[in-house]
Amino acid sequence: HLAQSAAFLEILHSLFGLVRSPVTATLPQVSSRLYVTWGVLYSFPEIRTHFFVVSLVIGWSVTEIIRYAFFGFKEALGFAPAWLLWLRYSTFLILYPVGITSELGLIYYALPYMKETEKYSFRMPNKLNFSFDYYYLAFLAVGIYVPCSPHLYGYMLGQRKKALSKAKTQ
Amino acid sequence: MKVLVTTRSGRELIKGGLNLTDSASVADLQDAIHKRTKKFYPSRQRLTLPLPPGSKQRPTVLNYKKNLKEYTDGNTDELTVVFKDLGTQVNYSTLFFFEYLGPLLLYPVFYYYYPVYNFFGYKGERATIHPAQTYALYYWCFHYFKRIMETFFVHRFSHATSPLSNVFRNCAYYWTFGAWIAYYVNHPLYTPVSDLQMKIGFAFGVLCQVSNFYCHILLRNLRSSEGGGYQIPRGFLFNVVTCANYTTEIYQWLGFNVATQTVAGYVFMAVAAAIMTNWALAKHRRLKKLFDGKDGRPRYPRRWVILPPFL
Repeated sequence: HLAQSAAFLEILHSLFGLVRSPVTATLPQVSSRLYVTWGVLYSFPEIRTHFFVVSLVIGWSVTEIIRYAFFGFKEALGFAPAWLLWLRYSTFLILYPVGITSELGLIYYALPYMKETEKYSFRMPNKLNFSFDYYYLAFLAVGIYVPCSPHLYGYMLGQRKKALSKAKTQ
Repeated sequence: MKVLVTTRSGRELIKGGLNLTDSASVADLQDAIHKRTKKFYPSRQRLTLPLPPGSKQRPTVLNYKKNLKEYTDGNTDELTVVFKDLGTQVNYSTLFFFEYLGPLLLYPVFYYYYPVYNFFGYKGERATIHPAQTYALYYWCFHYFKRIMETFFVHRFSHATSPLSNVFRNCAYYWTFGAWIAYYVNHPLYTPVSDLQMKIGFAFGVLCQVSNFYCHILLRNLRSSEGGGYQIPRGFLFNVVTCANYTTEIYQWLGFNVATQTVAGYVFMAVAAAIMTNWALAKHRRLKKLFDGKDGRPRYPRRWVILPPFL
């Protein structure tokens, strides 16, 4: 159930996110969340009891609450209070590492289940002469985290600098 | 004539400028810059006329064949050019050779060296090889061998070179796709299509490859008569479609895929078609713009761009 509600949030998130920020920042974020929510948590119930689910959901929820509160203020009142701006651009400093570790951890613990059940995998022989191994896709996904995580973190640091210095001069 | 060479940030690249004869060409200027800077050989230099700050126009790039006089206002003996370093350059023939070499050498590895599939986890004896797989090997290797031969003996490359980074990018594209397709066609669990379908596919593919070769010959002959300028392509399929060479190339892959039927092969064809369509649209647009029917120039005829009956 936690996974279901988190996934619903992601769909809304992508609709808004794609409108405001660059694709290189929103696409990895949205896809990693969808992958972990549907491709890992939903598909392999055995790992739902792992501690990382707790840290993951807390991390995502806190971020989303702050983000939407920020947008809500901006839309309703035209501005957002300084403390909220600070929260929006500072909590990521801890929550990003927490979230990324949780996501990677969950993928890692799901690996044996992926291998054993062969879920979502497509084997030869077949008329299409094509195959797909979901287990190895997970390795590829983890590989993508390697360049993407520093890129996103760096992007957020840049955004933080811009936003907080702008607030100072106002 | 005195020529001042600055970088895009305004700094003087060559202190004191260069002195050239009044009849000097841009190529002469490039040689002079190379002599002074040692590192920047001519194909690495991009020289443009300076634009007023804030101008949205595209800067004029100096053509190596033209005289410097054509870029002055006519009354000054001094010219300022802006220099940009394009980075290490390679010849197009070098680039093409390496990107085609990969598929030519990698594909047979999957056909002949069975232990590759053991490495990927396949446990079992070597399966019997289907005729389709053997014909596919010949077809594929012929295709890339043909491309390499055309690179050295048919294509006439303009002065242009390509940045070194493109070697890595292009090789990654060709070699990865080559290996991916080779993996499936030569797989021990490969399922061939009907004999008739295979024959039709390969026959159509060979026909397109021959047509493609003829298109390249026609394009080559366009280059030799006129020195570097563009001409309206004519003859054979070019009467109907601007980039007939790309057309035949795409349909040639279609033949291969109809004969071998792999998802990997079709994906490759789709990606290649998309890339070539991009090029074709640019070329078609360029030709239409150049041959507008004014000033005695012929008007570019109405033609398909790349893929009749679609585009």
